[in-house]
Amino acid sequence: MSLAVETRDLAKHYAMGRSVVRALDGVSISLEAGEFVGLLGTSGSGKSTLLNLIAGLDHPTSGSLRIFDRDVGEMSRVELSAHRRTNVGMIFQSFNLIPTMTAVENVALPMMFAGVVRGERELKARSLLEQVGLGGRQTHRPKELSGGEQQRVSIARALANDPQILLADEPTGNLDSHTAQEILALLRDLNTATARTVLLVTHDAALASRCARRTITLLDGKVLAEAAA
Amino acid sequence: MRLADTVHLALRNLRESKLRTALTSLGVAIGIASLVGMVSFGVAIQDQVLGNLLRSGLFDSVTVTAAQRGGGQRGRRGGNAAERLRNAVESARLATPRVRLDDAALEKLAAIPGVKEVYPDVRVPVEVSYGDFSEFAGATGVPLSARGEGVFQRMSFGRFFPNDTDDSCLLSLEFARRINEGAPGSLVGKEITLGYAAAATPETAIPGLPGVNLQRSERKFRVVGIVERQAGPGQVGAMFAAVMIPLARARAMGVTDVSSPQGLLRQLSDQRVYSMVTVKVRRAQDTEAVEKKIADMGFNAFSIADLLESQKKAFVILDLLLGLVGSIALTVASLGIVNTMVMSILERTREIGIMKAIGGGDEDVRKIFLVEASLIGLLGGLSGIALGWAVGRVINIGANYYLQNQGVPAANLFLIPWWLMAGAIAFALMVSLVAGSFPAIRAARLDPIQALRHD
Repeated sequence: MSLAVETRDLAKHYAMGRSVVRALDGVSISLEAGEFVGLLGTSGSGKSTLLNLIAGLDHPTSGSLRIFDRDVGEMSRVELSAHRRTNVGMIFQSFNLIPTMTAVENVALPMMFAGVVRGERELKARSLLEQVGLGGRQTHRPKELSGGEQQRVSIARALANDPQILLADEPTGNLDSHTAQEILALLRDLNTATARTVLLVTHDAALASRCARRTITLLDGKVLAEAAA
Repeated sequence: MRLADTVHLALRNLRESKLRTALTSLGVAIGIASLVGMVSFGVAIQDQVLGNLLRSGLFDSVTVTAAQRGGGQRGRRGGNAAERLRNAVESARLATPRVRLDDAALEKLAAIPGVKEVYPDVRVPVEVSYGDFSEFAGATGVPLSARGEGVFQRMSFGRFFPNDTDDSCLLSLEFARRINEGAPGSLVGKEITLGYAAAATPETAIPGLPGVNLQRSERKFRVVGIVERQAGPGQVGAMFAAVMIPLARARAMGVTDVSSPQGLLRQLSDQRVYSMVTVKVRRAQDTEAVEKKIADMGFNAFSIADLLESQKKAFVILDLLLGLVGSIALTVASLGIVNTMVMSILERTREIGIMKAIGGGDEDVRKIFLVEASLIGLLGGLSGIALGWAVGRVINIGANYYLQNQGVPAANLFLIPWWLMAGAIAFALMVSLVAGSFPAIRAARLDPIQALRHD
């Protein structure tokens, strides 16, 4: 089976005044296509940094990062934005929806960047919203939606350009436990039904073990443990 | 990303902050209005000064006469005696046999690139009679192609010749006033009689009389229009501007040119030779080149265009100065655009981060902000023209009220030609693009991770 994500000695260092922060310090992990992996760690352990690198939002300092055998670390700015647009879908803790746009428009936005014509992308946005369980309220703006609904919009948006990898950064962090369960169930469904690779970043080990088949724990920028859930 | 989507997105962003967009556009509008106001003021002054001369239709025409001694004499009027002597010797050396200004020459003149048409000047002295009125005046043959050109752009009364076969004529306003001081316009539709000298036909010639055989002829002409005509150059021009008849009609009538001995003598030869030919140039700026070519052919060529060059240059400088003063407000307005865009980017930093995280490229972000800036510029440019026009109207009304109280006739002191409108909008767009490019590049360069953390 081909590897969705493969890192080797991946490092990301930040200059912080005179000292250097080693946010990631030699991480070698691999994710198989279709896997659901939980990425665990306390805050400052480097899990968000790793997620951002995989998402193509940042350049690694050293080491290699390959997504479906393509070297993301060597990509130009233009290639990176294409990578974000087509290979990965991001789901954030704070939803990160554009407040002036309706649910449909938010979901259609990645397709707009991909050059899909308006009618086509709105049609697909509506069907994606239905797929994530948001049949009604499609023309509401984010502030008119509950947290759970907003996260559903965000998940639909992540699916817009049919990416192979979903990257979820604490997707339930701002939700009550009941809604959190629903969102996790949705992510699990997406993983099993469409064979998408899901990388779920969380600090909650119990939550990770409930839905992920495997967990990777980071500490101080290094892999502390890998375990099958 | 498609351009239509970029524009759509930019428009909705502008709508989200209506007040700021409106205020920034107003700044641009004021800038454009002051620019348009200043330049149009300059244009109007120029129009007042040069307009009458330009309307005389003299700038796109070259007057050609047969060279008496040699070709290419233009611009050789020397200063001191030695130079004059040298010139005289040179022109004697250059002296070529006289080139005849006949129909063949007319064809050659018409073949010069840039020439619109060539027609001989048929100018004859006539006796004009209307009722009790009788006076000697000059009649000029006018080609039909002159319709709507030069002085004929604005007819004081009536209209231009309908065709060149009718016996119809035009009168100059000045001459019409001589006939009927109070109501010159009432002459339109009336018939006047022109008495002229024509070559005698064999039947009417007095037998045995040698030399020129002339007879007095009379013909009735219907006045179809009256046109205000500035006197042409010199006294001859003024005299011949009184009556205008269709050129083809004038030539067909066999009117004899009795204004010069040469004209009389030419009646004796079989070949038609003209004393003066007018060459109309397609574009006024070609006049000089055509003039030079004609001089090279061995004719004397003269145009009035050269005389106005320096005056035109002065107006260009005036326009530039007025434009510079007008641009000050626009410069301030462009800083307003920069300010608005920088503020907008600061406010929307998180949104930019989101767009980048979900696949928006640097180029997409840059274009969204550039289009926003240029839409502000476009809006400002359009309303600036409207504002400038309105303010100009008010100033014009005020100025004319003052002028009329001073006994000066009203004048249009404010003109917005189409090129100024197009130029002002293009300029507003350009300024806003330049002003928007720095903020747009800043937005495009934003680090998405930093931007997503921004609140």
